[in-house]
Amino acid sequence: MASGLTYTMLDATKLSTSEIYGAVLCELGEKHPDIVGFSADLAKSTKIGLFQKKFPDRFFNVGIAEQNMFGIAAGMAKAGLTPFVSTFAVFATMRALDQVHTDICYQNLNVKIIATHGGLSFGQAGSTHHCTEDLSIMRSMANCQVIVPADGIETANAVEAAYYTPGPIYIRINRGFDRRFYDRAEYGFKIGKAVKLTEGTDITIIACGSCVYQAVEAANILANADGIKARVLDMHTIKPIDKEAILEAVHDTRRIITVEDHNVIGGLGSAVAEVIAGSGKGCAFERLGIPDTFSIIGLHEDLMAYYKIDTNGILECARELLGRDFEADDDWEDEV
Amino acid sequence: MPISVNERLILEKKAHELRLLCVNTVMWAGGGHIGGALSAMDILTILYYKYLNIDPKNPNWPDRDRFILSKGHIGVGFAPVLADKGYIDKELLKKYNHTGSDLAMHLDSLKVPGVDASTGSLGHGLSIAVGTALAARLLKKSHMTYCLLGDGECNEGSVWEAAMAASHYQVTNLVTFVDRNKCMIDGPTEEVMGLEPFAKKWEAFGFIVKAVDGHDFMQLSEAIDFALEEKSAPVVIIADTNKGCGVDFMEGDYKWHYGSLDSEKVEQAFESLEKYYQKRKGVSRNG
Amino acid sequence: MVCKEEIFANKIFLNSVLPLLKVLAEERGELKKSFKNKTAVIQISAKDLEGKVATHFDIKDGVWTVGKGTVENSNLDLELEFSSIVQLNDFFTGKTKKLPKIKGLRNIGLLAGALKALMAMSKLLGASSPPKKEEEKELLVKMYFYLLSSGISQLNKAGHPDISNWTKKSPDRVFAWAVTGKPELSAYLRVKAGNSKAGRGEYKRSKPFFTMRFDTVDSALGILLQIDDMIDATINERIIMEGAPEYGAQIGEYMVLVGSYAKGEYKKG
Repeated sequence: MASGLTYTMLDATKLSTSEIYGAVLCELGEKHPDIVGFSADLAKSTKIGLFQKKFPDRFFNVGIAEQNMFGIAAGMAKAGLTPFVSTFAVFATMRALDQVHTDICYQNLNVKIIATHGGLSFGQAGSTHHCTEDLSIMRSMANCQVIVPADGIETANAVEAAYYTPGPIYIRINRGFDRRFYDRAEYGFKIGKAVKLTEGTDITIIACGSCVYQAVEAANILANADGIKARVLDMHTIKPIDKEAILEAVHDTRRIITVEDHNVIGGLGSAVAEVIAGSGKGCAFERLGIPDTFSIIGLHEDLMAYYKIDTNGILECARELLGRDFEADDDWEDEV
Repeated sequence: MPISVNERLILEKKAHELRLLCVNTVMWAGGGHIGGALSAMDILTILYYKYLNIDPKNPNWPDRDRFILSKGHIGVGFAPVLADKGYIDKELLKKYNHTGSDLAMHLDSLKVPGVDASTGSLGHGLSIAVGTALAARLLKKSHMTYCLLGDGECNEGSVWEAAMAASHYQVTNLVTFVDRNKCMIDGPTEEVMGLEPFAKKWEAFGFIVKAVDGHDFMQLSEAIDFALEEKSAPVVIIADTNKGCGVDFMEGDYKWHYGSLDSEKVEQAFESLEKYYQKRKGVSRNG
Repeated sequence: MVCKEEIFANKIFLNSVLPLLKVLAEERGELKKSFKNKTAVIQISAKDLEGKVATHFDIKDGVWTVGKGTVENSNLDLELEFSSIVQLNDFFTGKTKKLPKIKGLRNIGLLAGALKALMAMSKLLGASSPPKKEEEKELLVKMYFYLLSSGISQLNKAGHPDISNWTKKSPDRVFAWAVTGKPELSAYLRVKAGNSKAGRGEYKRSKPFFTMRFDTVDSALGILLQIDDMIDATINERIIMEGAPEYGAQIGEYMVLVGSYAKGEYKKG
């Protein structure tokens, strides 16, 4: 791992998530001539344009042709280069999925896909530009690791870690207006290892992406208003999922809520459910996410509230789950 | 440099041997995409036995020429070439398609040495080839990339995305072939989805088109030599070929896109291929 | 009408203290001998306006089963019947020496055994300094843990205002008492939305929300017998609060409350 990227010095309050991504990629590009950048007419929107300005010869804007973009990136990776490919999540994982599947994942190529405008973050654009299926899709691509950073600083960490991790990696970020969450880069980011943000044994809230901030807010309210101690895990890596942290949560808290800006089918919630079911341990469990529907239109914050993946939604779910009987053998006779 | 008569005869012999091995492989495999394998065999032969700068003992040599088989379904034609070149044991061909075998209908680049890209889903190869060619340019390397497309495959929009990019980036360390055998699974290409005017399409996308007889080594050689020299625009060689070339009961018949052969059919195919070889030896179509 | 405080104390004696007879009778050598191969039903009861309150013991071949409430007279071999709840409470807190009515005098051996067990329990629980023998110490710690977990739960079930208000607001939480290296001594209390359950042994289905852990049996007795100062013990790490300290303080209060009923300190003057 290289040390001391200067993004920690950047005034993160002034930079959006994607701008931090662009800046970090430039820094990595400076050190590593094998990095090449790609976009499909979205260099400006995805902020990979910062890399383009700095390294015009190592950047390829292939026009509005995502399939070709991923194919070329595969070819470059085959020749030993390290492509970072940026487009909207919806196009990366659906329009060009055949290429991502066959050219990149099947051949285990070292291509880093930085998909922006994930989830409902481009809310006003409508469902053609929402992407609430990508985690489900990418999770089922063998060889591919899937990361959903919580904010700009975590994106910077993820992008850097992705460079030093061989093989295909899918990093899903938002449109760029995320709440800043981490105030420094050195909090121990490691691919595949959840970050424990608050400690508690009443309930665990497992979140990724923009929902991490909301989960911590909810945990604070639960602590102050309800006297509930909620554990919050930033599960930034959806694959490989941190089984250890999930099983620890099952044992310690026996109540788990997952929350993600994604269809409830196939994403973080499903990944966590698979681990719980596999453990054979009892656990009260609820998945928050988009309820298998195409979203209504609106601002991201409003949509998060509408689908109850914001602070209030998490609070409501936590309170309901805390009162729920989940043991068939609940028996309140004192043992004598 | 154009090939000599002697060189041509060596290539004819090699192409004949490979066609026989291809027919056998289809029999061992229990079936295969034989029509398109036989139509492309002369292109594979001239590339692997004259042009490609490769080292079968060192299949990942970074400076090797790349060959991207975009029409990835002709593994039964490509694997015999790789076996003959020494990338893989010829005995493996006898287990082609068998459960647990490393050789599938569409060859896996991580399992089969010498395969530069895993292909099979059509319309992918040219993008990958543009990628390897652009990478060579970035890395200041002089090796070439060769890419072989099927003609039916050119229905795929992604082929034209790649063509647009090859022309936009002036990718001239790339030689593209189309095996124009005029057949696809459901029928003749012009009936299923017309490609003509095919050459004009490539020209419109900024390519220099060389139309040749895909079963004539002299013509193929001249066209490749031209492409290697040409630096003003990428070159596509549209090779006019016969589906099932060399096997009389298959030739020109789209129904032989995929087929299986019993020992009787194999005998028949061998007889026909032998006749075809004798004819090819004696004639130089280039006069 | 019996006042609320007497009822709370009575619940603790009947349902938290008396059941410990079983623990004692099964673990202590000389008591084990007294009840060896014995089969009998013993009941300890108090008359009340609304009927009789009781705890009974069904002993089969020396194995004790604790039962709540009364059993039919015809099944009883021995009954110690107090004239009232207050009398039972006073007897167990040492405020009166007046014996209950003994029914079943025919069986002198059984009566002698039962009285021996009761005396032994009263001596053990009433001690102000730790026993000398290591196994006696462990037994006492275990009985205290059982008494405290069960006592809090009983007060909740009887509607003690402090405790029932607390459990009503509580999510599903487990509070545990433990001595490091002696899991067999552990006890726990599970509370959830007004419900409570005292359990014996370690709670294994999840990590308890809070554990009051003692580093040794001696440290545990120091606190349980109110010899040592709680704050000193905490500073010296003889008590380890596993979980938020404010919950340690809270459960500590309830432990003291159970103690005040068991010792009769709830009676003014």
